[in-house]
Amino acid sequence: MQPTSEAVLGVVFLPFLAAALTPLIYRILGERTAYVAAGVALACLGLVTSLWLDGAHGVVAYEWIPSLGVSLSFYVDGLALLISFLASGVGVLILTYSRGYMHGEPAQPKYYAALLAFMGSMLGVALAGDLIALFVFWELTSLSSFVLIGHYSDEVASQYAARKSMLITVSGGLFMLVGFLLLVWMSGQALGEPTYSLTAMLAESEAIRAGLRETGLLVPVLLLVGLGAATKSAQVPFHVWLPNAMEAPTPVSAFLHSATMVKAGVYLVGRFRPLFLAENAPVFGEWTLLFAVLGLVTMTVAAVLAVGATDIKELLAYSTASHLGLIVAAFGLANEYGAEAGAFHILNHASFKAALFLVAGIVAHEAGTRKIDALSGLRNHLPITAVIATVASLSMAGVPPFNGFYSKELLFEATYEVAAHSGGLAWLLPIVAVLGSVFTFLYSIKFASLFFGDEPEGLDHVHRPPLVMLVPPAILGALVLAISAVPNLFIGALVGDVYASVLPGDAHSFAVHLPTSLTPYVLMSAITILVGAGLFPFYDRLHAAINAALRGPARANWWYDGAVEGATELGDWATPRVQTGHLRTYATWAMGATSVLALGGYLAAGVALPTFSGVGLSLAIVLVLLVAVISGFAVSRAPSHVAGVLTLSILGFMAAIFYILASAPDLALTQLVVETLVLVIFLLVLDQLPAFYGEIDRLRASRDALLSLVVGATVFVTVLVSTAANPDQALREFLSVRAGLPAEHGPVILDWGGGGNVVNVILVDFRAFDTLGEISVVAMAALAILTMVRMRTRGEMQ
Amino acid sequence: MTDGVDGGPVDERDPVDGHERTDGGEPVEAAHEAEGAADPGPASGRPHHPYDHRTTPISRTVTRIVVPIILVTAISLLLQGHNLPGGGFIGAVLTVTAFVLVYVMFGLAYLQEDVLGLSASPEEDHGLVSGYRWLFAAGLALATAGGIAPILLGHPFLTQAVIFLEALPLYGELEVASALVFDLGVYFTVVGSLLTIVGEVGSE
Repeated sequence: MQPTSEAVLGVVFLPFLAAALTPLIYRILGERTAYVAAGVALACLGLVTSLWLDGAHGVVAYEWIPSLGVSLSFYVDGLALLISFLASGVGVLILTYSRGYMHGEPAQPKYYAALLAFMGSMLGVALAGDLIALFVFWELTSLSSFVLIGHYSDEVASQYAARKSMLITVSGGLFMLVGFLLLVWMSGQALGEPTYSLTAMLAESEAIRAGLRETGLLVPVLLLVGLGAATKSAQVPFHVWLPNAMEAPTPVSAFLHSATMVKAGVYLVGRFRPLFLAENAPVFGEWTLLFAVLGLVTMTVAAVLAVGATDIKELLAYSTASHLGLIVAAFGLANEYGAEAGAFHILNHASFKAALFLVAGIVAHEAGTRKIDALSGLRNHLPITAVIATVASLSMAGVPPFNGFYSKELLFEATYEVAAHSGGLAWLLPIVAVLGSVFTFLYSIKFASLFFGDEPEGLDHVHRPPLVMLVPPAILGALVLAISAVPNLFIGALVGDVYASVLPGDAHSFAVHLPTSLTPYVLMSAITILVGAGLFPFYDRLHAAINAALRGPARANWWYDGAVEGATELGDWATPRVQTGHLRTYATWAMGATSVLALGGYLAAGVALPTFSGVGLSLAIVLVLLVAVISGFAVSRAPSHVAGVLTLSILGFMAAIFYILASAPDLALTQLVVETLVLVIFLLVLDQLPAFYGEIDRLRASRDALLSLVVGATVFVTVLVSTAANPDQALREFLSVRAGLPAEHGPVILDWGGGGNVVNVILVDFRAFDTLGEISVVAMAALAILTMVRMRTRGEMQ
Repeated sequence: MTDGVDGGPVDERDPVDGHERTDGGEPVEAAHEAEGAADPGPASGRPHHPYDHRTTPISRTVTRIVVPIILVTAISLLLQGHNLPGGGFIGAVLTVTAFVLVYVMFGLAYLQEDVLGLSASPEEDHGLVSGYRWLFAAGLALATAGGIAPILLGHPFLTQAVIFLEALPLYGELEVASALVFDLGVYFTVVGSLLTIVGEVGSE
C-alpha cells in the first residue's frame, strides 16, 4: 500500500521540530525534558508502526530543486522500516535512560537537541528515496554525532574524538557523493534522463549496471560508495574513530555508535546491493570481492582488537565494528544466505549491543570505573543487570539458542556455500569467518564474566541503578529473548521484507531453525564455541600478546595521527610564509596562484589561441596604445611617487581614449571617472607613504619582475581566449533590438528596454540581477574596510 | 578582546603602533594630521582648520567653483543614463570625486561641519561615515525593493517597465523607466560605499 505522506513527513521532521524547541522546553521542564524527547521518539515509533501495519511500500515525493531533478522523496520498504524501527524504538529507550544517566550533567539542552536531531537525520537516511536527500541526511548524522561525541567540550580527549569521527565520516560521505553523482550521470546515459531517484535506479538496475561496466565506471563507483559505507560503519581501516567515539556519554554510544548511526553504512550497502548485484551474478563479482573481503577482514581484525581492549566501552566499540563487518560481509556474498544473514543480523545486533552498552553505562555509573581489570563479581550488587548482560553476551557470542546464533549460522552457511562452489582460495572465507567468531566468542564471554567470579576490593560501594536506567536495557534484553524464542515470527513480520529489499529479483520467505542434523555450518559453529571455550583460560595472555603486537604502523591510529599531524605541521610551516602581514606577500601568493591555476586550466582544457591575423587597427588607436605602453614603462622609472602616479594615470587616460576611438562611450566615461577618482585618492594618501623604500634586492626584483610577467601573460591569454569566442549573434541582435523602443507601443511596455543606451539597459534591466550582486559586493567591501579599520583602532585585533 | 568594545577608553598604543607599521618614516607628521582632522577644535567660535597651511588659495578657489559643476554633471549623467552615455555607477563615482576633492582641499572636518552641518562628537569621530553607512544600506534596500515590487504585481524578480505619461504640462509626453529606481539604488550604494572607504581610510 502507498505510504501516507503525513506519516512519513511526521517521522522525519517531528524530531527536528522537537530539537529546535528543546532549549525552550528545558527552560520549563529542566531535566524532565528527557521524557518529552522520549515522547517524541515514541510518536515517531508509533508512526513507523502505523506505516508497517498498513504494509506501506512506495514513494512519497515533494519537489525540492525541480530544475536539477532533485526531489525530497521518501521510499518506504522493508529495509527502511527496519532501520526506522531501530532509530525510533531504541531512541525511546535511550532518551528515557538519559534521564537517569545525564542527571546533573552539564549542557543538557544541547544533548537532547542533538540526540533528537540525530534521530531525525537517521530516520531521514533510512527513508530517503533520493540520492541528494540521502546524502544530506547522511552528513547530518555525522554532524550530530560530532556534537554528541564532543559533549564534554572542554576535555581534550572529547575534542580529539569528535574531530576524528567528523573527519573520517564526513570525508567518507563526500566520496559517496562523488559516487552518487557518477551514478546520476550514468542514469542519464542509460535511461535517457538523469535521475536522482533511488527507486528509478533500482527499477532499471540492469541498464545502469551494463552502462557502468561498459564505461569502466563500475569499480570506481563501487569504491566511492563503499568508502562512504566503510567510513560510516567503521570498517577496517576506518574503524579508528569508533573506539574514540566512546568519549561520548554512554547513552549516545548505545544509540549512535551501536544501534543506529553506524548502521547507516550497512544500510547503504544493503540499499545498493540490488543495484550492483545481478540476480544471477557470478559468485566472485566486483561486489563480492569488495564487500565480502572488507567485511570479513573487519569482523576478524576488530574482534581481535576487542580482545585487546582494556575498557568495557572500548571492547564494545571494537565488537560493534566486528559485527558491522559481519553484516557487510553477509551482504557482500552473492547468495541468498548472505542477504538473509545481513538482514537478520541488523536486528539481532541492535538488540543485544544496545542492551550491552546500556549495561556498560550502568556499570560505569555505579562502579565508577570502566577498566576491565578492576571489574569482577558485579552480580552481587547488580543482579538484574547481570542477567541482562549474560543474555546479551551469549547472544553476541553466537551461542544457541540465542538470536545471535541464527544470523551467524546463516553467515557460515553463506561462506560455506561460496567456498564449496568455487573451491581454492574461496575456502579462506569460511576459515576467516570462524576465526573472527572465535574472538567474538572470547570477548563476549569476557564481558559476561565481569559479573561473575570474586569481587575485588573497593567495589562494595556499588549500588543499584535507578529504575529509568534499568528498564530500557531490560526491555532490550527481553527483546533478545523474544527473538531467540520465536525467530521466525520476527523474520515473517519484519526481516523477511528487509531480505526482499536487499535481494535483486524476487524474494521467497525464509526461516531459521535450531540444527537437528550435523551440517558443515553446524560444525563451524561447534568449532567456534569449542575453540573459544578452550582458549578462554588463556584470555589474559592473548590480551597481552595483542597489545604487545599493536605498536607503530600496525595500528591504524598511527596512520591517522601521522596524517593529521603532518597536515598540521604543513599548515604551521606554510602559514608564516604565505600570511606575513605584508600586503606584498599576500599579493604575490594570490596573483601567482591565480595565474598558475588559470594558465594550468587553459593547458588542461587544451585551449587554442586564435591565429594572429594582422593588426586591424587604425593609426590613431595604435598611437594611443603606444603612448600607454611607453607610460607603463615610464612608471617603473619614475623618480618620485607623484611622478609615478601621474605617469600611471597617463596609461589610464590612454585606455579611456582607446575606448572612445573604439566607439564605446560608456566604457570611456567609466574609465575616465574611475581614473580621476583613483588619481585623487592617490594624491590623498601620497604623503603618508614612505619616500624611500631602501635598496632593492636584486633577487627580489627579478622575482617580482617574473611574477608581473606571468600575471601579464595570464591576463593577455585570458583576453585573447575570451574574446576569440564571439557571443552568439542572436543574443547580440536581441540585446541591441530589444533595448530600444518598439515602433508602436502602449502606455506601459514590459519586454522592451525602452532606452537608447544599450549598455545601461543591459545593466539595469536585462542583467539587473548581476548588477544587484555587484553593488552588494561594493557595499560588502565598504563594510569590510570599515570593520577592519575600526577594529584596528580599537585594539580588538590584539 | 573585551577592552574598548563598549566604546570605553581607546587604547592609546594601537594607533601609534599602526602608524609605525604602515607609515614607515614619518609617524609624527601623520599622527598630527589624523588628530587635526578629527579634532572638533575649540568649543566656541569657528573651528580651527588644519588645511590652512596645506593647500593654496588658488586650488581652494578652483575647487569651490568646480565642485558644484561636477555634482550637476554627475546627476545629469545619472538621469540621462537610460538613453545616453551615463548611468548610476558613473554618476556615483563622479559624485564621490567631487566629495574627495573637497576632502583633499579642505579636510574632513570642513566637509562634516561647515558643508553638512554635522557636529563631530569626540566619541564618534567620524559622524559623516555613519551617514555614508546609512546611504549604502538605503541604496541596497532601494535596488532590492525595486526588484521585489514587480513580484507583487505578478512579474519575475527585477522586471523593469517603461511607462509613458501623456499630456503633461511643459513636457508633453514623458517616458519614465522603472529602471531609474534601480539605477538610483546603484547610485546610492556606490556613493555610500566609496565615501565610507575614503572617509574611513582617510581619517586614519
